[in-house]
Amino acid sequence: MDFKKTKIVYFKEMLDTLRDRRTIISMILVPILLFPVLMFGMSGLVVFFMEEAEKIPPRVVIVGKANAPSLTRKLSQEGEFKITYETNFRDAIRDKRAEAALSFSEDFENMIEAEDSAQATIYYDEAEVKSSMAVGKLRDYLSHYEDSMVTQRLKKRKVDRSLLQPVDIKEENVASQEKMGGFMLSMFLPYMIIILALIGAMYPAIDLTAGEKERGTLETILASPVSRGELATGKFLCVMTISMITAVLATCSMSITAGIGFAKMGPFTPEEVQISIKLTSILIILILLLPISALFSSLLLSVSLFAKSYKEAQSYITPFMFLLIMPAMITFMPGVELNWPLAFVPVINVSLAAKEVLLGTYNWGFIGLIFVSTVIYASFSIYVTKRLFEKEWILFRT
Amino acid sequence: MIKTFNLTKIFSDKKRGEIKAVDGVSLECKPGRIFGLLGLNGAGKTTLMRILSTSLKPTSGTAKIDGYEILNQPEMVKKRIGFLSSDTGLYPRLTAFETVTYFARLNGMEKEAIRRRIDEIFEILDMNDYRDMKVDKLSTGMKQKVSIARTMVHDPQVLILDEPTLGLDVITSRNIIDFVKSSKQRSKIVLFSTHVMHEAEKLCDDIAIIHKGKILEVATLAEYRQKTNLDSLDDIFVKIVGE
Repeated sequence: MDFKKTKIVYFKEMLDTLRDRRTIISMILVPILLFPVLMFGMSGLVVFFMEEAEKIPPRVVIVGKANAPSLTRKLSQEGEFKITYETNFRDAIRDKRAEAALSFSEDFENMIEAEDSAQATIYYDEAEVKSSMAVGKLRDYLSHYEDSMVTQRLKKRKVDRSLLQPVDIKEENVASQEKMGGFMLSMFLPYMIIILALIGAMYPAIDLTAGEKERGTLETILASPVSRGELATGKFLCVMTISMITAVLATCSMSITAGIGFAKMGPFTPEEVQISIKLTSILIILILLLPISALFSSLLLSVSLFAKSYKEAQSYITPFMFLLIMPAMITFMPGVELNWPLAFVPVINVSLAAKEVLLGTYNWGFIGLIFVSTVIYASFSIYVTKRLFEKEWILFRT
Repeated sequence: MIKTFNLTKIFSDKKRGEIKAVDGVSLECKPGRIFGLLGLNGAGKTTLMRILSTSLKPTSGTAKIDGYEILNQPEMVKKRIGFLSSDTGLYPRLTAFETVTYFARLNGMEKEAIRRRIDEIFEILDMNDYRDMKVDKLSTGMKQKVSIARTMVHDPQVLILDEPTLGLDVITSRNIIDFVKSSKQRSKIVLFSTHVMHEAEKLCDDIAIIHKGKILEVATLAEYRQKTNLDSLDDIFVKIVGE
């Protein structure tokens, strides 16, 4: 094989591919914009709507107002809830005239005064987000009320509150801030990067095989002084380059977005989560990505080489994509950890290793093994691709 | 010289079984002469030419092109041929100049030689106006010229032209016809396939009639006329194929 010719093919394919709008979109725009849009756009919208919903006082139907006149008065005066009175509270909730209903037992106020236990029931519709939110608010309100009653009663008896709390339970998260950030990233960063490395390779792989058949350029190049091996290698290196560029851009975009983004996300405050991914982690992930992107590139080239046209190639590749993406989802499974057998399963091994690395665990033995095994799989796949390029029944399929 | 020795290509088809697309073809094309391969659609012209351009491997038999054997020295063969067919497309996102440069580089030409050669060809073919335009944006006629430039950039001794005028209008076809004629003048070996009788009549020095993969007869037009007592190639062709 003449490397000079492979180089000529590679640079021509790169030039050609970089002028393809589809490739530019999937290689540059998608990985760069996907994460900020997901994080700020989607989660921002969710937070916005939650906050908006919080501002409006939930409508609550009081059942048995006469049973608890002072609490009812308090509720309607404070304005935290919009109080209505209806006999058929179930219909009111179902027809969305109210978010929840609060019913007091017959002797509610008497029991409270007698320092006994009174009963209140909250009715709501769990399938409705607004209703669930109203319940949370009501529950908080009532436990607050309950708490003040307890304090009053204890005060009257001159008993200290600590009597009711023999054990004071405290929880403290010992994970470092980096680990908390890594934990969240480790769930979806490996998955996202693997998908994007795959998507990045998809268009060029189709374009350089089935696309060439469709345009008749494959026939032209096959009659030119370049061997099938040189041609296959040049094309493969081009697809792999595009795949790696996509993955690198995705990693950078995601790390930066995560750094800014988590701090702004609803339940996590900046003190709780700090995203700082170590450069070593990123480097290890990118090194592991090299053979996996080689594997993807050669697989996609092989599959789309069979097709006669761009469209046909797309329909071959779609089921194939699912097959490759599914194992990458392993990072979402709780409790699945890297072990010897899993270290040999392609895609799964890289996903899990990337997850561990993001959590700050560097198991060099596994990392080395995964790299070597993926290199072996990729080499085999590249060999198959090269052989397929020599099959005239595939190249001249009619 | 192109010399084929009993070339045979068998395709196996699930529905139709084994098909002999090319069946024991032996022929000889000489420099400075246009060798026409005349046959109906599906006669085996394209398969034969793909074998000669080393894109397909023959099932049996072999061929020598300019002294090089197609099976053992495909790279040397490819350097000596210019292959053009109605199916050979161009890269739409490359410019005319980039396209021709790419093929020149694959042929092992050096930078300076490429520049000189491209200047020369673009001048001859009157292509300088759209030198840096993307192929995508060119008219059919312009594209055809880019294809011709691509075929002749390495100044090949042998031209294998498979129905190069198929689907082209009269004006665009003329580019190709002129190219074939000038190649003959420069003592090139031209193998030209067609199913258009008047094209063969006008251009070819030697005409081989190919039918169902077999060469039925090779002769000059004058010899065909003498042998069949017919004047037009249409009639001659029908007579020979019908026999």
